[in-house]
Amino acid sequence: MPTLEIEGKAFSVDGDGFLSTPELWNEDVARLFAKYDGIEALSERHWSIIKIIRRNWEEKAMAPMIRTICQETGIKLREIYELFPLGPARGACKVAGLPKPDGCV
Amino acid sequence: MATKTSLTETGMEVLTNGQITKGLEVFEQPAGSKLLTHLNSCVHCGLCAESCIYYLTTGDDRFTPARKVDIVSSVYRRYRTFTGKNLPWLVNARELNRATTDEMVDLLFGACTMCGRCTMHCSIGVDIAYLVRTGRTMLSNMGMVPATLQSTVNAAVESGNNMSIPTDEFVATLQWMEEELIDEVADPNARIPVNETGARILYTLNPREPKFFPLSISAMAKIFFAAGESWSLSTKMYDVTNYAYFSGNPSEARLIAERLRRETGDLKAKTLVLAECGHGSRAFRWEAPNYLQEHFPFEVKTSVELIAEYIRDGKIRLDPEKIKDVVTLHDPCNLVRNGGIIHEQRYILKHFVPDFVEMTPSGTDNYCCGGGGGQLAMSEYNDRRMKIAEVKAEQIRKTRAKIVVTPCHNCVDQLSQINITFKLGVKIVTLAEIVADALILENEKK
Repeated sequence: MPTLEIEGKAFSVDGDGFLSTPELWNEDVARLFAKYDGIEALSERHWSIIKIIRRNWEEKAMAPMIRTICQETGIKLREIYELFPLGPARGACKVAGLPKPDGCV
Repeated sequence: MATKTSLTETGMEVLTNGQITKGLEVFEQPAGSKLLTHLNSCVHCGLCAESCIYYLTTGDDRFTPARKVDIVSSVYRRYRTFTGKNLPWLVNARELNRATTDEMVDLLFGACTMCGRCTMHCSIGVDIAYLVRTGRTMLSNMGMVPATLQSTVNAAVESGNNMSIPTDEFVATLQWMEEELIDEVADPNARIPVNETGARILYTLNPREPKFFPLSISAMAKIFFAAGESWSLSTKMYDVTNYAYFSGNPSEARLIAERLRRETGDLKAKTLVLAECGHGSRAFRWEAPNYLQEHFPFEVKTSVELIAEYIRDGKIRLDPEKIKDVVTLHDPCNLVRNGGIIHEQRYILKHFVPDFVEMTPSGTDNYCCGGGGGQLAMSEYNDRRMKIAEVKAEQIRKTRAKIVVTPCHNCVDQLSQINITFKLGVKIVTLAEIVADALILENEKK
């Protein structure tokens, strides 16, 4: 299993860089993963998205629909793609410590 | 449906006789069949090497398409030819054992996007991509499909769509997009119809659209609205993808295709329109008649062809001043090289994009984005997938385009990752999205 090293901390990840054990996620992990993907600082808007993804994962064991993210945070769809340039799956879900979703993402 | 895991995961090191027998079943073909003819034809000229993005970007001989053919044909020779059975060393015949299957998984799943460019360049016309797919079927028969790819197939088989989206969440997303559409076209009658019997068109989606990227749903709905089309989506079966085509499992591929065929019939649609999805178009339109052993009793076309018809017939009008940036086009392998839909997307773009630039090469000789063949689903090969993407990144950079259009959601995802990794600074959009942006609506014409 590949290891990802960010600022001296090692994480066990899949080949796409998604955290192998979602339970090991915490807010520091989110900051480091975001930084690795080029997001220098997580804003309040980033956090509101991450928290909904995390909650959905803990309740339903899957990533939320983008509709849920938009409607619960009040953030417009196009802005989400700007906040996470790699998109909701490879960008936001990865920072939130979820495994990579199935399908064409 | 039992979940298949790879043998590496279960810790089994030796192949069982049952597995070997299942694996060899693919060779049960009459003499003179396409498979046996092509398996016996490679002359090892090596011309295929430079057609392959894996070889081009790594220079690794192992990735030469002929080597991928060879591993399948060497097993064939070992069990199905006189010399191979008796003097295997003389004809490079290989035992079907763990070392062989490990190498097959690595080469056929991990180092091939099934783009078919090698097939076009083969000096004697061997259908190399077809032989790779046959090799994948062997591995599938033995339960050795990479777990990451198999889990996408399982999601589709078990839930009806490859992202396991619950129906209520799907419906809520469509309602949300309908509200956005009404807002955008400023007409309360604009709709995203669901489960309507007798609509002329049954439209499909890639599940990544409702799940994460719904702008392409409202874009297509806007085009249907402008064209005054009678259309519907189905909540029962809307998934245009068929990952079993990639995993090489014909019975799962048949099951998925059968659902779409049945739903089109049940809703009495005249035309099934396949969303922008290269492999989905191929798996249903061109492969499913083989899986299902029948001709479709309805018309099947891609949304690319439909949009071109709308323009040709004057059903939609596009503003030639709307798109000001340089635009280029990425040709999805399964739609273009393997499906023959080459001119329609160009006809559409040239109709309203003033500054359209082709990639070099393009059309049937275009390079794969690197995400085909199920590569996007198989995380273990991510590094390779970004390595082979060097070719596409360079192609895009040379066009100086600011917008890359591609009629395939899978390509969109790979290109988006390429865009960030190689810092291209472009925008990646589907064909429906760029067309929807330039639509002139009736109430605006006055």
